[in-house]
This record gives sequence, C-alpha cells and structure tokens, in this order.
Amino acid sequence: MTTPALVLHLLGILLLPFLAPGLINRIKAWWGGRRGAPLLQPLFDARRLIGKQSVYSQTTTAVFRLGPPVVVATSLAAALLAPMTPGTGVLSFSNDVVFFAYTLGLGRLFLTLAALDTGSAFEGMGAAREATFSVFAEPALFLVLGTLALFGGQAAFADLMGPHGWQTVPVKLLCAAVLLLLLLIEAARIPVDDPTTHLELTMIHEVMILDHSGPDLAMLQYAAGLKMTIYMGLLAALLNPVLLADQPWWSAVVSTTLIGGAILAVGLIESLLARLRMRLIPQFALAASAFGVVALLIAVTQSQQG
Amino acid sequence: MIPLFLATVCLILGSVLALALPGNELRARAGMVSQVIASVLTLVAVAPVLAGQPVLEGQLAWSYPVDTIVLQVDGLGALFLAFSMPLTALGAIYARGYLEPYFKTDRNLGVHYALLNMVSLSYVIIYIVGNAMAFLLGWEVAAIAAWLLVIWDYRSNNVRFAGFNYLVSTHLGLLFLIAAFLTLYIQSHSFDFASFGPQLRLAGTKRNITFLLLLASFAFKSAFFPFHTWLPRAHAAAPAHVSALMSGVIHKAGLYGMLRFTLLMGTPDVWMGWFLIVFGLTSAVMGVMYTTVQRDLKRLLGYSSTENVGIVCMGFGMGYLGLSWHNNTLAILGFTAGILHILHHALFKCLLFYAAGAIYRATHTVDLEKLGGLARHMPYTTATFLLGSIAIAGLPPLNGFVSEFLIYKGLFDGSVTSAPTRGLFALVAMVLAFVGATSAFSMTRAFGLAFLGTPRDLDHTGTADPSAAMRSPLILLAVSLFVFGLVPQVGLSLVAVPVTQLLAVSGLPLDIAQQVSAPAQVLQPVVFFGGLLLVLVAALVAVRRWLLPPPAPAHRTWGCGYTSPVPRAQYTGSSFSDHLAHYYRVMMPHRRDVSLPQGLFPTAAHLRTHAEDPVEHRMFEVLKEGKESLADLAALAPRTPRIAFAIGLVVLIASLALGLSGSGGQP
Repeated sequence: MTTPALVLHLLGILLLPFLAPGLINRIKAWWGGRRGAPLLQPLFDARRLIGKQSVYSQTTTAVFRLGPPVVVATSLAAALLAPMTPGTGVLSFSNDVVFFAYTLGLGRLFLTLAALDTGSAFEGMGAAREATFSVFAEPALFLVLGTLALFGGQAAFADLMGPHGWQTVPVKLLCAAVLLLLLLIEAARIPVDDPTTHLELTMIHEVMILDHSGPDLAMLQYAAGLKMTIYMGLLAALLNPVLLADQPWWSAVVSTTLIGGAILAVGLIESLLARLRMRLIPQFALAASAFGVVALLIAVTQSQQG
Repeated sequence: MIPLFLATVCLILGSVLALALPGNELRARAGMVSQVIASVLTLVAVAPVLAGQPVLEGQLAWSYPVDTIVLQVDGLGALFLAFSMPLTALGAIYARGYLEPYFKTDRNLGVHYALLNMVSLSYVIIYIVGNAMAFLLGWEVAAIAAWLLVIWDYRSNNVRFAGFNYLVSTHLGLLFLIAAFLTLYIQSHSFDFASFGPQLRLAGTKRNITFLLLLASFAFKSAFFPFHTWLPRAHAAAPAHVSALMSGVIHKAGLYGMLRFTLLMGTPDVWMGWFLIVFGLTSAVMGVMYTTVQRDLKRLLGYSSTENVGIVCMGFGMGYLGLSWHNNTLAILGFTAGILHILHHALFKCLLFYAAGAIYRATHTVDLEKLGGLARHMPYTTATFLLGSIAIAGLPPLNGFVSEFLIYKGLFDGSVTSAPTRGLFALVAMVLAFVGATSAFSMTRAFGLAFLGTPRDLDHTGTADPSAAMRSPLILLAVSLFVFGLVPQVGLSLVAVPVTQLLAVSGLPLDIAQQVSAPAQVLQPVVFFGGLLLVLVAALVAVRRWLLPPPAPAHRTWGCGYTSPVPRAQYTGSSFSDHLAHYYRVMMPHRRDVSLPQGLFPTAAHLRTHAEDPVEHRMFEVLKEGKESLADLAALAPRTPRIAFAIGLVVLIASLALGLSGSGGQP
C-alpha cells in the first residue's frame, strides 16, 4: 500500500464516522423540507461531549468503564483491516476477514455487558436485542466472505475485494445487497433501529448507551459511525472495478463516489421507510442470509464452469 | 517409563494415605501432594516425547487372557497426559477450598481425594496402554471414579439420579466400545491395538461399521449430541471441581479414542471426513442453542462442552478430508485446530467451572435468575470469569480464538480447488459463525446476569472472593488463556508431534519444525493484532483518565423518569433469551405453566417456564409418562450409597493393585 493511499484510508477512518452521519442527516432534512444541521454536527457534538464530565451510575463496575475503550479499539482494529478500495487494506493478512468479524464481536460483547452493568431493565432489553440480532446477522457475513473466497483463492480482504471479471457481477451485486442489509443492522439504522430516537422510543443501540455520558458517549458515537463507515467502505471496495495498485487515483475516486452512493442510499432508506416491528428484524437478517445462499449457489456453478 | 511408573506408585500411595490417615486436613494433603508429585513426574516423562524424542515403550506381563500389555507413550498419549494430570492436580488444590465447610465435620474427605487419585490413575492407563482389555479397564476406572465423585452430595435424590443417569450412559457407551473391540478381535485374534491396525486399514463394510461403533462410544464419553443427556445433569449435580474435571479433562478421553483409532486406521474414506464434520457441527449447533436458555450456570457450562467437542470434531473431520485427499495443508490445519481446541477448552472450561464454584460458595446458588451484582464483592472471580467467557466465545485476543481461527483458515483455504467443496465449506463456515455468535450471546447473558447489575434476590448476594486455595487456580488458568492466546507457539509446539503422527498414517511426510512453523506463520498477524487491541484499549483508557481525572461524579442509573427502580425489574435470564428461544422453539420445548390474573381485583398469578432437554424429553415421552417417570426413577436409586461408595472404591483399588503388582513389575 502506497503512502498517499494509506493517508487517505486513515483520513477516511478519522473523518467519515462524523461526516457520513452528517450527510445522512442532511439528506433526510432535505427530503423533509428542512435545511438541516451543519454537515459536521456530529464532530461538534463529539467535541462538546469530550469537554464534559462523565457521570457514572453507582450500580456500575469496571466493566462499564471498560466498555467504550474496548468498543472503539475493536472498531479501529477492524477499520484498519477493512479496505475501502479493492486490493490491499492498510494491514492485510491471510484470513483477516475472520479476525475482522470476531474483533467486532468482542466490541459487541463489551457494549452489551456495559449496558447490563447499569442494572436497568431498559438497557438489558437493548443488550438482549443486540446480542440476538447478531446471531442472525453473523452467518450472513460469513456467507458473503465464503462466496467471495470462491473467486479469490484466499480469504483475505485483499483477494476478496478484487475485480474478478464481468461474469462475477451478478454475484457481486447480491453480495453488495447482503452487505447493505448488514450495514443497516450493524450500524443500527432504519428500518432496523432508529438512531434519532431517545429515551422511551429507542430500541437497540441508543438504549444501550443511555447511561453513558461525556467522553464515554463520544467514544461510543464515534464507534457507531466508524462501524457504518467500515461497511460502506466494504461496499465500495466490492463494487469498485479499478485496482488500487493499477490506477491509484481512479480507484480512490471511484471508491469515494461509491461511498457517497452508499450514504445516499442509507439517507434515502431512512427518509422513505419506517422502522420495522421488532419481531421482524430476525427475518430481515435471514433475508440477508438468503441472498447470500443464492449468491453462493451462482458462484459455485460459475466457478465449476470456469 | 520409570517416572511414569513412579507417578503410578505415588498416586496409589497417595490414595491409600488419604484413606488411612486420621483427620481431613492430613488426608487432603496426602491427596494434593501425591497429585502434584505425580503430575511433575508425568511431565518429566512426557516432555521429551512432545519435543520430538522417540516414543517411550515398555511391556507389562500379565496372566491369561491378556498375556502382555504393550505400553507406549507416543506424542498423542503424551499430550493428553501432559494436560490431564496437572489439571486434575489443580482440581485437588481447588477442592481444598471448595470443600472447606466439610473439613470440620465428621465426613471423611479421604475418600474424595482417593477418588481424585483414581481418576489420575485412569489417565495413565488409558493414555499409555496399547491393549484393548487394559484400555477398557482404564475406561471403567475413570467412569466409576467419576460417578462416585459426582454423587458427593448423595443425600439429594436429584444428585443420585444424575449420578445413575451418568453411570447408565457411560456404560451404554462402553457396550459400543466392547462391540467394536470384539469385531476387531474376531479378525485379529489379539487384543493388541497394533494387531487391530491391519484390520482397520482394509476399506470396506467391516471397517465402516467398526468406525461407527467406535464413534458412537466415544460420542457417549465426550457427550456429543444426541448422546449428551447425562451431561447437564451430572455437571449440575457434581461439586464444581468435579464438574471441571469431567467437562475439561475426563471427557477428552473420547476425543483421544477417536484420534488413537485414526492412527490405526490409516487413510480414512472421504465419507468419514464429511460425517465427522456434520456430526460435529450438529453437536456444536445443538449444544450452543441449549446454552442460551439455561437458568443453572453449571448446566449452561455443561451444554457448552457439547458445543466445544463439536468444534473439535469438525477440526478432525477437516483433517480426515485432508488425509483422504492427500491435502497436506488441510490435514495440518484440521488436526492442529482440533487438538489445540481440546487443550484450550480444557483450560477455559476448568476456569469457568471453578468460577461457578466460587459463586456457589459465596451465594449458595448458581441460578442465574437469582444472582446479580457479584462484581461488586468478588473482583477476582469476576475478572477471571469474564476472561473465560471471552475465550470460550472464541473472541480475540485469548486462546479460544486461536483454534477457531485455524478452523476457519482451513474452511476458506485455497488449497481446496473443487468449487462444490468450497461451497460446502462456505456453508460450514456460516454455521460456525452462527455457533460463535450464539456462544457470545450465552456468555454475555451468563456473565451479565450473574456479575453485573444488582442482586435479583437478596438471599443470594455475594459477600467476598473465595479463599486462596480456590483463587490461585482461577488466576493461574486466566494467565494461561493469555499465554496460549498471545503466544500460540506454546500450544502449537505441544500439538506438533501428535499432528505429525496423524499425518504420517496417510504417508504425508512432514517434519516437526515445519509442522509448528506453518500454523505459527498463519497466526503471526493474529497475535500482532491481538496485541494491538490490548495496546489500543490501554491507550484509550489512559486518554480518558487524562480527560477525566478521578473521582468521577456518581449518580443512580437513569430510570427514564421512573424514580424508584427495584432490582426485580432488571432483565432476567428468561427475558434475555426469550426472543432468540422463540425461533428455536421447535427444537427446544419450553414447558410453560401460566395462570393469568383474573377479575377486577386480581390476586394470585404466576408464570413458570422451564426449558427442557429435547432429547431427554423425547426419551421419557416414549415411555408416555413424561415428567413423572423422572421422579420415579430418581426414587428408585439406592438409599444407602455409602455402601456403593465403599464397594466401588474397594473394587477400584483392588483391581488396580492386582493389575500392577501381579504383572511382575516390568515397566
């Protein structure tokens, strides 16, 4: 990986988690006929929160305090592995995809434990939902990875996200659909969860962080934005036909456009759809797995012929 | 061989002393000291073998019909001895703390310690003999000793029932084993394992049947689904260290059996590999699904053993496929992952059971619906249980991830070129991801409910961490999780010799150094990232500390405007898993007993739910008596188990003494 590409990737990791939610909010505002908050509002919020103090519940223990750092650390490690352009990520190794998924799993474990640590029934509810839905979402992710590994040989992001020729486009589109559904689940967006709700109306992610405040809250919000960025980057890397090693500038431009497209898609989905009923979310996740199975079948037939 | 012989003598001497000495304190010491000495001696004996030195061999002359027993400590046996003996010794030390309340009573603890020594002795037999009769003897010693250990609390009907359930199950498994041995004996006219080899190498119906018989027997021993019904009961009933011993160490004999006969069998058929993968996957899925709804922490951990042996078996299946296809990479990855996972599971499962025992000593319950908020008063137990949970859920940077990573590596590996196979492997990976996520779910639930929040029942609030005797094994095991997770070379060099042996049966040439270095190279970046994670967390904690110098302001949990929250309103175990269990309801029957409030002034109402084991449920359903038959069976158990204790012990020690002294002592 060349130095400019590295710098761009790091910039993406640092800025997009603030910019992407800001852009989505702006799209929603336009759609609703409002002017909307500044694009970098999430960044201003983070700065404000860092300046504040954190208040801790008397019920909580060290697990609660460990929660936000672990969530941010795991998301950062995952972001370093996940590419935004096809070809090598910042750091890449054989089967980094497994480490990627399990690291995010570690973050989720601490996020849910921190929620349970408050002893609030409400946060327990959010933790249970988060853990339950991940059970349905995780298989879909591995299905996509396994499908793409059929083309690439090794299961490293570097091989999975390369341009594999025109005949693989249907499979890639299906995989992209799965990734988009997973993005909505993992980043807690509509129709799975609503990031704008608070208190009584909140459902999954926001309810788990009700008791976090100050820098802790800023960390968790950054991690949530980062998770969304990671999945958008994966989408872009998957659909981008230009290898970074061949034409670095074109590759970066195409990926940026694709990430913009993903932001637009999420913004439009949020503007047009309502939240699903809680009971339907596992079905939503299973739909992702179903797409994945179809993609796998097509990929197997294709590579058998090829 | 000499140190092993000395270890045997030491164990027998220890058990005799434990029975003969006056006073529980002395008896316990005799047990612990003999266990530790025997462990050290065993390690001295097996370390060279694990380092690649030649196999230790010996012979034991015995009378007709056995004649001579071939003794052989090869890499496989050495590895199993190397972790079984020290972990049993650790259990004996833990027992000193766990059984503390009984030391002052008139109960004779010598029996308990003598039985622990018998268990260790059974490993020495099982893992070194090359003779079917002697193997069965060791198998029985382990089974009976474990049974007597399980019914420690024999006054309770439930415990007795659990014990007999185990005894019956383990003997059903024994029947399969005897059937397999006899099938082989008819052809080879000898009980020597070496003479079984030529028979097992002939592909055909006979070999297939023998393979299935052996697999069924070992599946009983290791509690694979659907042969697991004895396991949750036995684990819930036994004292914590005995549960740890059974789940982490004794069960592994079944997996040892699988590998031992793989060595004899030579190149397996392709269907066997797929069969093992599917069989293992089924166990993993069913086991982990049961863990999500358990109320009893020890039952939960018991079911998770079924899950983990399933994962191990998947690794073996991959190894089998590698052998049949002459695919070196796949065979190395499969067997290394499987054997490494045995070792890792032994470590974190013992840790978790010890922690569960600490909870039981502090609160007198392991019912997740009653616990809560233990983290406040039990920091050591909390920290170690949390680490154990992370490891058992297979999350980085601890050891559970290392072995699961190697399995994924095999499933995604580019050395398999056929597209349909890769497609099937992708599906297997999907199911494994499901198992991983569900396991994380259960451990979140178990840890979160027991240790976090506030106590749900004021009769069961934890008071303090356990005594040093219980705490030190916990800490030692927790450290080992880090060592095996961040320095995987340790584990890899331990399993290198057995894996090389397994590859050799199919004529895949490989030297030991290459065997260690191939997976180590794969794991290098994983270790780097594991370390990076720890550094990042430490850095973020430091940054926050700089931003917010303590003490931080404290307040009560935000109750969304509700000002008088009560502990009973917290999320419970059943509510946590309700949504998920709803999707599994076909496979996991929930017994519900509801009486809703009625009328304008409702009075009494209740809701009782109970997740039943579907296999056991069906088994009793066949009898058309349902729940009652369970109670009847429990009532049938003999009411004077002291006699059973005594008889069992006498038989055990006598048979062993006969076996060793009557043999002419030619180790």
